[in-house]
Amino acid sequence: MSGRQMKLGLFLWATGHHIAAWRHPDAHVTAGIDIDHYIKLARTAEAAKFDMVFCEDAAGLREANVQIASQTSRSIGFEPVSLLSALAAQTERIGLVSTASTGYNEPYGLARMFASLDNLSGGRAGWNLVTSASPIEAANFGSTGLRPHADRYERAREFATVVTGLWRRGASGHDGQSFSVRDPLDIEPSPQGAPVMVQAGASDDGKDLAARTADVVFSAAQTLEEAKAFHDDLKGRLAAYGRELDDIKIMPGVAPIVAATKAEAQAKYDALQELIPDDVGVALLSSYLSISDLWRYPIDGPLPELPESEGMKSRQALVIEQARRDGLSIRQLARYFAGARGHWRVVGTPAQIADELQARFEGGAADGFNVMPSWFPGELDAFATLVVPELQRRGLFRKDYEGRTLRDHLGLKRPA
Amino acid sequence: MHFAVSLDIAAAAGQAGLTFTEIAGFVREAEAAGVDMVIISDSADAPSSSPFEATTLLAALATVTETIGLVAGASTLAHQPYNLARRFASLDIISHGRIGWNATMRQNPREAANFSRPEGIADSDFHRRAEEFIGIVRGLWQGWDAEALLFDKAAGRFHDPERMHLLDHKGEFFSVRGPLNVARSPQDAPVLVMSGLAAADRSFAAGAADVVMLDEPSPEDAKAVCDDLKRRVQTVGRKPEAVKVLATVPAEFAADSLDDWFASQGWDGLNFALPADISALDNFLDRVLPDLRRGLTRSTDAGATLRDHLGLGAGGGQ
Repeated sequence: MSGRQMKLGLFLWATGHHIAAWRHPDAHVTAGIDIDHYIKLARTAEAAKFDMVFCEDAAGLREANVQIASQTSRSIGFEPVSLLSALAAQTERIGLVSTASTGYNEPYGLARMFASLDNLSGGRAGWNLVTSASPIEAANFGSTGLRPHADRYERAREFATVVTGLWRRGASGHDGQSFSVRDPLDIEPSPQGAPVMVQAGASDDGKDLAARTADVVFSAAQTLEEAKAFHDDLKGRLAAYGRELDDIKIMPGVAPIVAATKAEAQAKYDALQELIPDDVGVALLSSYLSISDLWRYPIDGPLPELPESEGMKSRQALVIEQARRDGLSIRQLARYFAGARGHWRVVGTPAQIADELQARFEGGAADGFNVMPSWFPGELDAFATLVVPELQRRGLFRKDYEGRTLRDHLGLKRPA
Repeated sequence: MHFAVSLDIAAAAGQAGLTFTEIAGFVREAEAAGVDMVIISDSADAPSSSPFEATTLLAALATVTETIGLVAGASTLAHQPYNLARRFASLDIISHGRIGWNATMRQNPREAANFSRPEGIADSDFHRRAEEFIGIVRGLWQGWDAEALLFDKAAGRFHDPERMHLLDHKGEFFSVRGPLNVARSPQDAPVLVMSGLAAADRSFAAGAADVVMLDEPSPEDAKAVCDDLKRRVQTVGRKPEAVKVLATVPAEFAADSLDDWFASQGWDGLNFALPADISALDNFLDRVLPDLRRGLTRSTDAGATLRDHLGLGAGGGQ
């Protein structure tokens, strides 16, 4: 058995990652108001020895058009730091990672919150830094529009510097462009030293910030080649910041649909796809393309030429690339992205899925994966009971936790 | 008579903070004795340190308790109104309707300096800003009507778009569009506790608060402020019992000195302020709590939410 094993995160998302998951007959439709549902999911993931559960976040609705929004389950849910704090008391080993924005928080407050989560959980907390790209969020924080991409990253760099300084307790007193902080942090240090830093931005600015500050990077890639190119690019930037290749774990998203036979798995996927209303699919696609009037173009025609976005640059490029490569119409593209938001989808038997994960892991394209079940709890249960044992049998994944903290699970050094 | 316990989890310099197990054990004993709510304050005026931040601690406590109300202090300087409204709405769902927000009207001198306001904030600005902030939070808590969520899988209707409301607030200090992306609170809205009131804050508190905590030094002073507050509550068209006034008792007390506080009437209950010190907690549980039982009147079937415990009406319109 080789020494190197993959890392697995469970990407939590109420009813499931598929846009129509909530309509699936077995999906837990009240997930967004049911804490017991989340406790059950986290314990399932912990029993399967996942490294962490992960919550993404936005401080606002996902969709501006209320008629579209009302056909999805995405307008309500838990605020993730409170959700994970509750899970901290109800789990023992699994890591707890939450997104929080550098756009709409202050570094002192955010550093306190995650240090507290780290203490509550005995050293299992992580912060996923995002800069927030949605004008809907901006409208909840007094802004008249989204800040330009480069400004958001400038603020994020300063924010990350202040937060890590507060956690590490060396720095005291910061007076910068966007923030000023006088005192040391008033939350006691945790068993982990500092919460794990996670990032997902894949633009040039995003990759540089990750190379400088992140312990874990989430990414989206359709093909092994794309995933490997991203992996090599990001790891290639580490030396400039005095860091080693193993200091960052790259975990691309994967949306598996698993069943005993390939045909059965495909049938499960097709049934979900049938539940997507066209206007919901097109609206979701529009948000990833950062444009508002995609519905004006013929739905069975090609994607129009688009200006470069101030929103999610890397995701826009990924969508356009996919459309051109496969010659997809707007409708086909919308359906494709409604399933996993641009993340890699694998449909098949436990052995076929394990083969695919193994190929990317051993092919130098990933240190592990952020698993995105299509609906909860069914597809998580299927992955935990069918795919995880197959990975363990191949020696690719742990059979038990080696340590107690999230840094232990990920094999990360304690911060200096 | 209602009883609250305020627990200041900021440890004195050089002392170890309480562990989660110690805090949870104390809260469970207070719950068993019928205390209405525990209030966590974690932001000291002087440099100190705590193991936990109050709202994250509350989420964890919510999963290991069943009936006691859980209130956290959170300052209007250290948060954005959208984030804070969302955090407490989420906590209320996690706790099945047992959450309150303690909004203090007193400026913490350390906060401006640590939250990117190096010049500080003028006292008059702070008060106008805090009032606007509290108004936004209350408005955001009203964004979803009680019957808004449909969960209709077959028709593809998750919620009723007519029953979700924008806030569209544009004020002196904030503009917030809304709505909150958290469902309506199980108690319509988390309980709004206000404390640290200056005389000038009383009219605002009379119109907005569910609970007011007084920290006057003597029963006589507390009664005078309480009477004034209740008058103002009526002036703004609310019933006097719509706002519960709790008098805070300073941490050092003997059980027999409580008789003065019990004897004076006017307020609706007492709030016991305890430091982050295990011997103070034990002392309270062993010596004070048994005495309080004679004042506890809540029947066990009075309802499950903090509003139920306090005999407050629904927190939302619509």
